[in-house]
Amino acid sequence: MFKKLILLAFSLVCAINLHSQKFVPNIPIETFKGTYTTMSKELSDDSYYILSFWATWCVPCINELDALNEVYDELSKDLNFKVYAISTDDARTKRRVRPLVNGKSWKFDVLLDENHDLKRALNISGLPHTIIAKQNEILHRRVGYAPGEELDLLEKLKDYEVE
Amino acid sequence: MRLNKFSLFLVFFLFTFSSFAQSNNYFYGSFESNGVYYQESESTDYDKKFASNTYLNLKYNLNNKWVFDLQTESYLPKQLQNYSDLLEDTFVSTFSINFNTNNFNFTAGTIYEQFGSGILLRTWEDRQLGINNSLWGLRSSYKKQNLRLVLLGGYQKKANTISEGKVFGFDSEFTVYDKKDSYSNLLVGLSYLGRLEAPHYVSYPFEDLTNSFSARIDYNSDNFYLNYEYAHKSEDGVVKFNVVSETFIKSGNAHQVNAGLIKDGLGLDFTFRRLENMGFYSERVEFGSPFFETTLNYLPALTKQHDYLLTNINVYQSQPNISFQDPSLMKAGEIGFQLDAYYNIKKETFLGGKYGAKISLNISKWNNLKGNYDYESEDYDLDFLGFGEKYFSEQSLEIRKRWSQNFNNIILFVNRYYNKRFVEEKVGEINSKMLVFDNTLKLNGEKSARFEIQHLFTKDDKKNWFGYGFEYNFSYNFSAYFNSIVNYENELEDKPTYSNFGLSFSKNASKFMLSYGKQRGGLMCYGGVCRYVPEFKGLSFSIITSF
Repeated sequence: MFKKLILLAFSLVCAINLHSQKFVPNIPIETFKGTYTTMSKELSDDSYYILSFWATWCVPCINELDALNEVYDELSKDLNFKVYAISTDDARTKRRVRPLVNGKSWKFDVLLDENHDLKRALNISGLPHTIIAKQNEILHRRVGYAPGEELDLLEKLKDYEVE
Repeated sequence: MRLNKFSLFLVFFLFTFSSFAQSNNYFYGSFESNGVYYQESESTDYDKKFASNTYLNLKYNLNNKWVFDLQTESYLPKQLQNYSDLLEDTFVSTFSINFNTNNFNFTAGTIYEQFGSGILLRTWEDRQLGINNSLWGLRSSYKKQNLRLVLLGGYQKKANTISEGKVFGFDSEFTVYDKKDSYSNLLVGLSYLGRLEAPHYVSYPFEDLTNSFSARIDYNSDNFYLNYEYAHKSEDGVVKFNVVSETFIKSGNAHQVNAGLIKDGLGLDFTFRRLENMGFYSERVEFGSPFFETTLNYLPALTKQHDYLLTNINVYQSQPNISFQDPSLMKAGEIGFQLDAYYNIKKETFLGGKYGAKISLNISKWNNLKGNYDYESEDYDLDFLGFGEKYFSEQSLEIRKRWSQNFNNIILFVNRYYNKRFVEEKVGEINSKMLVFDNTLKLNGEKSARFEIQHLFTKDDKKNWFGYGFEYNFSYNFSAYFNSIVNYENELEDKPTYSNFGLSFSKNASKFMLSYGKQRGGLMCYGGVCRYVPEFKGLSFSIITSF
């Protein structure tokens, strides 16, 4: 048993030190129309992207997106960035996504990852999970949301722009 | 599929290989470990013992076209309470080689897939519930903007073994009409799934191969959408008291209609569903398994998914199956509907105030299929649109309001009817009302606090409950919480109280949590799937990281 544990720990340490996921994988993803697009097509502009993984039943996810929505207009004047709210709602709650987004007047584009193909490919375990990418290159990722953290996320974005 | 030399070799091979590789060849993955020291448990197997579930997932990307994916799971010294007994020790749980171009995808090994809304097939992983019903086989798919084709076949994973049944099928979806730069389009889809299970020890009086088909049509426009899905499953033996019946043989079917209305600031969604004998397993005898082993399709409860401690008591679980328990408890499926409404009250209006408000309403009602049921001859004759005994109904209203730059709250009211006799096949019916106040206050810098109070009002079952919770964020990365629920009107002398204290630390894509307290036992639901969990008191930890 201990041998196996040591092996697991060793693999983990190696993996963390030497490697990390660099790009958003190019896989097909569903739009509100029920048709498919690909991640590389959606992230093809030369700008920064915030990918926020959420679900209609996840209270902190909705808090984060509501908060981002509040500051979105103001910030998109100065910053060149785009937000994708990527819903991980499955068949139980997927039908609720479009009415909810409309009922909240969110200004983001929404993509649907119903059977978690993208979530799995990005190794996401907990929600909310937020990624900052420049085109498809991953610059930063974080798990969870605390009130006000959206401002920190936008500060990070500003820093990247200055660089 | 035990952890063996081959898989170890593979891990080291990939590590070594990646060290010399170019920049677009790289390793990544995730690690998750959940452990509990059970200070007190209802189960003697766990009392005063430690248990943990650990998942290590490693992926290797080669030229952005190939992905090698390996997951090992460890249940040491044993699996957490109420996970399948088959989950033990350390083993390779999934492994796949995936080839991907923009439109074409080929997978050999572990397959995750969903046909349509999952009525025929959904394979997925849910660690909280201990579900991983992935297939082990071959899959190829072709997805373009107006066409989606999937072909697959294989055996289903059953904890650390492989299920007896062979599974194969295809899914197709075509865009019939599509208007550019608008939501308008029309899609149609067709799926097939076959399950071949021919145990050597028995010859069934029905086909070893069970065929299932589904057809769907999906219309979207800028302000409206409508879709319909029909599914049929061929005749199969009904599982009664864990035995496949050779006399009670039935086919199954499903109808689902969904429509919605979209206006700026308003969203409405309505779903009607009728399920008759639609449970589908790659191994017939696993029917109704509490661990969802060998389940092929996904038929979740279509009700509001709750996120608070008290609103999660007596939640509905879908009833897709035939169950003849006794002459007073016979069911063949479910029929019902759900309505959701979302409305945004604009800023600077009389009701909205300075910051506006967001309202959501949910109404749902689910019943048994109405008809003539005959216990003795094991048969039924159903009315197509008849509503039989009521299983569940709920009305809920949620208002989210920001009062100032720093203060906002959520008020949630729920009115619920729950038929414990028909849903859980136990005793009783429960009428309850719940009220939740969830308040968030932003403080200086990165600090914030959240305070919630909840009450559950009922004269039935275990009577009233009260709950409260407090959460303090010291920074964006570090928070502490305390919550407690008490069943203060329970007839027991010692009122059941469940209090928990926890710490949570997160940094980038990692999260570490530690908590101590007593967890309520009973039906726990996540993502519309429920299972029984015994009550326990103990120290829990959880580590999640993606790299």
